[in-house]
Amino acid sequence: MVDVSQHELVPEHTVLEEEALEEVLEEYDIDRTDLPKIKRTDAALPDDAELGDVIKIVRDSRTTDQSVVYRYVVE
Amino acid sequence: MQDTTPKDIGSLSFGLMEPEEYREMSATKIITADTYDDDGFPIDMGLMDPRLGVIDPGLECKTCGKHSGSCNGHFGHIELAAPVIHVGFTKLIRRLLRGTCRECSKLLLTEDERDEFRDQLTESRKLSRDLNDVTKAAIRQARKKDRCPFCGEIQYDIDHEKPTTYYEVQQVLTSEYSQRIAGAMQGDEEEGVERTTPDELAEQTEIELTRVNEILSGSFRPRESQRKAIEKALDIDLTEEDTNKLMPSDIRDWFENIPDEDIEVLGINPERSRPEWMILTVLPVPPVTARPSITLDNGQRSEDDLTHKLVDIIRINQRFMENREAGAPQLIIEDLWELLQYHVTTFMDNEISGTPPARHRSGRPLKTLSQRLKGKEGRFRGSLSGKRVNFSARTVISPDPTLSMNEVGVPDRVAKEMTQTMNVTERNVADARRFVSNGPEGHPGANYVRRPDGRRLKVTEKNCEQLAEKIEAGWEVNRHLIDGDIVIFNRQPSLHRMSIMAHEVVVMPYKTFRLNTVVCPPYNADFDGDEMNMHALQNEEARAEARVLMRVQEQMLSPRFGENIIGAIQDHISGMYLLTHDNPRFNETQALDLLRATRIDELPDPSGVDDEGEPFWTGYDVFSELLPDDLNLEFTGTVGDEVVVEDGQLLKGTIAEDEVGEFGGEIVDTITKVYGNTRARIFVNEVSTLAMRAIMHFGFSIGIDDETIPGEAQARIDETIADANDRVEELIEAYENNELESLPGRTIDETLEMKIMQSLSRARDNAGNIADEHFQDDNPAVVMANSGARGSMLNLTQMAGAVGQQAVRGERINRGYEDRTLSHYEPNDLSAEAHGFVENSYTSGLTPREFFFHAMGGREGLVDTAVRTSKSGYLQRRLINALHELETQYDGTVRDSSDTIIQFEFGEDGTSPVKVSSDDDNDIDVDQIASRVLDSEFDSETERDEFLGTRPEPTNLSEHADDRLTDGTEVSSDD
Repeated sequence: MVDVSQHELVPEHTVLEEEALEEVLEEYDIDRTDLPKIKRTDAALPDDAELGDVIKIVRDSRTTDQSVVYRYVVE
Repeated sequence: MQDTTPKDIGSLSFGLMEPEEYREMSATKIITADTYDDDGFPIDMGLMDPRLGVIDPGLECKTCGKHSGSCNGHFGHIELAAPVIHVGFTKLIRRLLRGTCRECSKLLLTEDERDEFRDQLTESRKLSRDLNDVTKAAIRQARKKDRCPFCGEIQYDIDHEKPTTYYEVQQVLTSEYSQRIAGAMQGDEEEGVERTTPDELAEQTEIELTRVNEILSGSFRPRESQRKAIEKALDIDLTEEDTNKLMPSDIRDWFENIPDEDIEVLGINPERSRPEWMILTVLPVPPVTARPSITLDNGQRSEDDLTHKLVDIIRINQRFMENREAGAPQLIIEDLWELLQYHVTTFMDNEISGTPPARHRSGRPLKTLSQRLKGKEGRFRGSLSGKRVNFSARTVISPDPTLSMNEVGVPDRVAKEMTQTMNVTERNVADARRFVSNGPEGHPGANYVRRPDGRRLKVTEKNCEQLAEKIEAGWEVNRHLIDGDIVIFNRQPSLHRMSIMAHEVVVMPYKTFRLNTVVCPPYNADFDGDEMNMHALQNEEARAEARVLMRVQEQMLSPRFGENIIGAIQDHISGMYLLTHDNPRFNETQALDLLRATRIDELPDPSGVDDEGEPFWTGYDVFSELLPDDLNLEFTGTVGDEVVVEDGQLLKGTIAEDEVGEFGGEIVDTITKVYGNTRARIFVNEVSTLAMRAIMHFGFSIGIDDETIPGEAQARIDETIADANDRVEELIEAYENNELESLPGRTIDETLEMKIMQSLSRARDNAGNIADEHFQDDNPAVVMANSGARGSMLNLTQMAGAVGQQAVRGERINRGYEDRTLSHYEPNDLSAEAHGFVENSYTSGLTPREFFFHAMGGREGLVDTAVRTSKSGYLQRRLINALHELETQYDGTVRDSSDTIIQFEFGEDGTSPVKVSSDDDNDIDVDQIASRVLDSEFDSETERDEFLGTRPEPTNLSEHADDRLTDGTEVSSDD
C-alpha cells in the first residue's frame, strides 16, 4: 500500500500536544469543535491520531514560506 | 416625536405555540363569518372586528388606542370544533407516530439506546452538524421494534396519505379464512403436497377436532395463537391488511403522553414545544393589518385572500358544531371534519401536492400564508433581502470623455428629485436659504424642510420665498443633488465589487447618465442602450465610507488578479499608438493642443529644431509630460519592442495596450502601486484625453477599401485555396483506396478529418499572410490589431483573405441531410466545399451555401454564450449562498457567523492581492517610494528624522481637492 503521508505533496500532519492545543485555543478564543475538521479515516493522518485530537498541518506556501492550519479529528 | 428608535434584538426563539398562548394573545374570539353589516360597519367578533387593528386612517384601534400606521394590529382566534393537523408538521407527526408506542406513547428505544442518541445529539450540536441525521437514525432504530420495550404492546406500521391522513396498518384474520384453510387441506398433487385431513390438522395444531370443524365451516374465528398454528401447519397466510384511520384527536391524545425526556432525543425542546401542539385546537386569526380589505372604484369592498379563507374556515367550523350537536351520523361528521382540515390546510399552504388548491371565484388560486413567504417574490427574497429603495434613479448611459473617471453626469431632472439632507448651521444658513428660495423646480433647489420641532414641510413654488426667510440653524433642508455630491453607481449583473462604485455628481442637461469611457471595463458597460442605477446616500457615515472606500479611483486594482482593471480602451489605445509608434514630431501649437485637456500648461524644452528652424516636440515628449518625474520602468511592450522609461521620460517603445490598457497595463499598474490611486487616476484621465486629442490630430477612420487587396494578391489567394482543395482531394482519394495510414489512437475516418482540417486551416493562414503582405502598417485595421485596441489579425484575414472552415462542435459541418450536409451535394461527398469551408472573404462576399454554413457555425457561438451566462449566473448564486457569511476578523482569521474558523489567516498569507506586486519581474520598489516621499516632505535631515514613521496617508476627499493637493497648495479647512 502506498503511504500517502510520505508523498511530497502531502504536508506534514502531527498530533498537537494538549498544552500546545490550549495555547492555540486561547489564541483564537475558540473551542476545539470550532476548528476546521478532518476525518479520522483521512489517509494523511498520523497513525496515533484519535477521535477528538487536534492535528497541526504545516504546509509550504508560495507567499509566506509556511502556513499552519489546525484541524479537529471527527469520525 | 414618533417612537422610531431602533431596538436591539436580544434573542429569537423558535418553537411551537401552545393553544393557551393563542388564546392569551388574542384580542377577540371570532365567531361570525360575516365582515361588515349593511351600514358598512365591521361586525363585532367578526373577521373585521375593530379590536384586530385599524387600517382606515383616522380611526382609533379599539385594543391599543393607536392610529393606523402605528398600530401593528392584534391577533384574534377561532376555537376549532375539532382538532386538525397543521400541514407544516406532517412529516414530524409521521415520524413521532412511527417512533413512539401506540399504547404508552414512550419512545420505542431502550434506555441505553436513548442515552446513546442523546449523546450523539449533543455532539452534533457542538460540531454544528445537521441534527436531522441523528433524529432520523433514532426513528429508524425505533421503527425496528415490534413491541414496546416498556409496556410490551405490539406496534403497527403507520401509513401516511398525503397531506394530512394517517393510518395504522394491522394484520388481521381474513374473512375468507375457512375457504383458504380448506383449499390448503386439499393439497396439490402436481406440487407434491399431500392432502391433510381435519384429524391431522387437529393433531398438528393441538386444536380440538370439533373446533377445527367449526373453523372449517366458518362458524368460529380462530384466535391469534390458533391462526398462527394453522398457518404454520399448512404453510399459508390467513391475514389481510386492515387500515385503521387515526383521527387528529387520537393523534393528539397519543402525543400528549409522550414523556419530555423522549422528546429531547428527537431534537425537540420540550419546554418550548410539545408535540401535541402540532395538532391545532385553536386557530390564530391574523390581524386586519396583515389582510387589509380594499375599496374598489365602484365603492365595493374587496377582501384579502386570507380573509376569504378564514370565512370558509368559520363557516365549516360552525356547520360542524351544529351537526354534532344535532347528533348527525358519524359519516357526516367525518366528512365535515375532513372539509375543516382542508380549509385549515389551504389557509396555511395552498400549493400542497395531492390537494386541489383553493380558488377564488374567478378561478385564480388563493395566495395564502405560505405563498406570501415562499419564492423569489416572497417575503424573504422579495421584500426583505430585495427591497425597493427610495433615492435611486435609473436611466440610459452615454459616454462623456470630458468627465473624470471619478465623476458621473447626472441629468438635472434626476438631481431635482434626489435629495441630500442638509443640517443647517450658522455657517451654511446662507446656502440653505438660497436652495429653499430656488424652490423645487429650480436647480439647485430644495424639496422639503424640517423644522426643529420635527414638522416636515414641502417646499412649493408658492411658499419657497417665505420659507427661505424662516430657515435658521437647527433646521434640516432636503436640497437637490449638486456638483461634488457623492453617489453610488451600479450596473447589473453585479458580478464583482467593481460593479458598484462611488462617483462624484456633475449635474448636466438632458436625460442620460454620463460616464467616462475608462470605467466601462469594471462595469462591463457599453452604450448600445445599457441602463445603470444610481443611489443617493442619505447619511454622513455612508457618504464618508463611499468616498474613502468605493470611489472609482480606489477600485483601480482588481482583487481578482491584483492589477489595474481601469485603463485606456479602444480609441485611447489607437491614439497612444499613433502618438508614440513612429515618434512623430509636433510644432508648438500642435503639442500644446494635444496637452490641452491635461494639467500641463507649459511645454518642456523642445527636442530639436526642424529644417525650417521651428522647434519641435516628439510624441515621446508629449506623453512623458504625463508620467511622474521619477518613474523608471523597463519591459517588453505590446508591439514586441522594449519599452524604457527613465526618470519619467519615455525613451524607447510604443505605448499601447500592455502599457496603458485595462486589465494590467504595466504603466498604469506601476503608477497605482507606487504613486497611489490619486496619481493613477490623474494619469489615466490624462492619457485618455491626450489619446483623444492625438487620434483627432492624425484622423482615424476605416472603410471597405482598407480591407480590399489588389487583384494580383487575390489571384495568389485563389491559388492557395485551389492548392488546398487539391490536397484535400488527394487525401480523400487515398482514403477511398485504403492507402491512408491512421494516426496513433485515431480511426481512419478521424485521421482523414484531422488531416483535411489541418490543410484547410493552413490554407486560410496562407491566404491571411498573403493579404497581410499587402496591408501597410498605417492601415487602420492593422493599427487597431497591433496596438490591441480592437480586433485581431485573424479578423483581418477573414475580411481580406478567406473566412475559412466553419465548425460545429469542433468538427467540420456534418449535419443536415442523410450522408450529406445539403441537397446540393452528392451523398458522402467529403470535399472541403461540402463540409463548410468558406473560400471567400467577407469583402468578396459569401456564396449562398457558404453563408448557410457560416450561419450554422455562428448559431453555435450564440447558443454557447446564452448557455454560459445562465450556467455561470447560477454558479455565482450558489457560491454566494455558500460564502456570504464568511468574514475576515480583526485577528486575521476568516470565520463564519457561528465563529467557526474557515482559514487561520486570510488566503493563508493574510495578504490582499491588490497590495502586492503582480509578478516577480515587477517588484514594487518600497525603498524608492519611501525615499521619494521623505525627500519631498522635508527640507532638512533633522526635520525628517523627527517625523519619520508617523505620517498617515491623507484621505483624498474630492476630485477638486485632490487636484489642489497635487499642485502643491494645501487646502485650507473651514475651521
